[in-house]
Amino acid sequence: MAATAAAATKLTTLPISCPLFVPSYRPRIGTVTAVFPRVKTSSLSSTSAWARRGPTISRRASSFLVRSSIAGLSETAPKSSEDEFPAAAAVYAIYDGDGELQFIGISRNVAASVAVHKKSLPDLCRSIKVGIIDQPDKETLTQAWKSWMEEYVKSTGKVPPGNESGNATWMRQPPRKKPDLRLTPGRHVQLTVPLEELIDKLVKENKVVAFIKGSRSAPLCGFSQKVIGILESVGSDYESIDVLDEEHNPGLRETLKTYSNWPTFPQIFVDGELVGGCDILAVMHEKGELASLLKS
Amino acid sequence: MSGAARKLATMAAAAATTTRAARIRSKLESLLETTVLEVEDVSHQHAGHAAVRESGGAGETHFNVRVVSPNFEGKTLVSRHRMVYDALSEELASGLHALSIVAKTPEEVAGKKK
Repeated sequence: MAATAAAATKLTTLPISCPLFVPSYRPRIGTVTAVFPRVKTSSLSSTSAWARRGPTISRRASSFLVRSSIAGLSETAPKSSEDEFPAAAAVYAIYDGDGELQFIGISRNVAASVAVHKKSLPDLCRSIKVGIIDQPDKETLTQAWKSWMEEYVKSTGKVPPGNESGNATWMRQPPRKKPDLRLTPGRHVQLTVPLEELIDKLVKENKVVAFIKGSRSAPLCGFSQKVIGILESVGSDYESIDVLDEEHNPGLRETLKTYSNWPTFPQIFVDGELVGGCDILAVMHEKGELASLLKS
Repeated sequence: MSGAARKLATMAAAAATTTRAARIRSKLESLLETTVLEVEDVSHQHAGHAAVRESGGAGETHFNVRVVSPNFEGKTLVSRHRMVYDALSEELASGLHALSIVAKTPEEVAGKKK
């Protein structure tokens, strides 16, 4: 179980260079810089009620603002998106060619995040304001983001378009797990072609196929789990298929052993060829041979 | 376990005069002319595994083997592993469930030490 938990953590940990999450805009009385009427949900689109009235700064909050070392949004000078940005934790605001604020984000590596945004949205990234944060703990980052958001909402009465609820333009969506492949839609479906032929077609039509025990989201064997971890870590767009799923893949487990002349699982095929099982994949990964093989 | 399965298990137990580890060792030694051979029974690490429960919890299902053999010369990892699996086909057919294999040539081992 410990191994499962560790692997799960590994898979969900985002690379440090990707744009950080942008926190939900839920006021927490006592810890936030400004106190505003509670809104029912955390979605920004529903914050128009308080946006109209504007946040009220509490006495406690104003003492926080004095201690805060982050300059306000309006006090920060914009830089061209062509400039160099430090690889530091920061709150940042991205403006388009018309000087319209598009998005406010936070990152532990603003240089990397800006690079990602520039690559995916070159037309919307003309100038960028950056507020470097010396203490890059989550709370400080969140506070900095909130203070810039509040300043913008207060002065314009609206939320930056990229921060609107449901707007996925700027934030990386959590990667959707591919479903496992299935040989048949369900029980009692007679295959019209021999199973060996179907396997042959499957491994030749897909670049990388991993025959595993269990599903890719819940592997039922440590070796299969390790293989998935390796494939995910090299960013392979692999297909997986569950050899234990007798309902959808009847007979696959035994037939595959004959087809591949390999008695155990998992089995990984690349370009129709058996690369091996867990041990071989791990060795190739250690040697750094895997990424090129899977992508070429 | 059904009656037939129990009978089979009894027969298998009778045939197995030695441990599986010992059989693996002797088969790899003779068929692959190993210069170094380590066989480790790690079945206890997989005690909760479905396949282990299927086998009636008898153990001897999971092994780590480290094989150094001149016969691996010029062979890919896939073919080396296949040679090991082929040598142990009887064991795989009688309840050996998984092998973790390290397969090297004497030269590769020597090269690493330098």
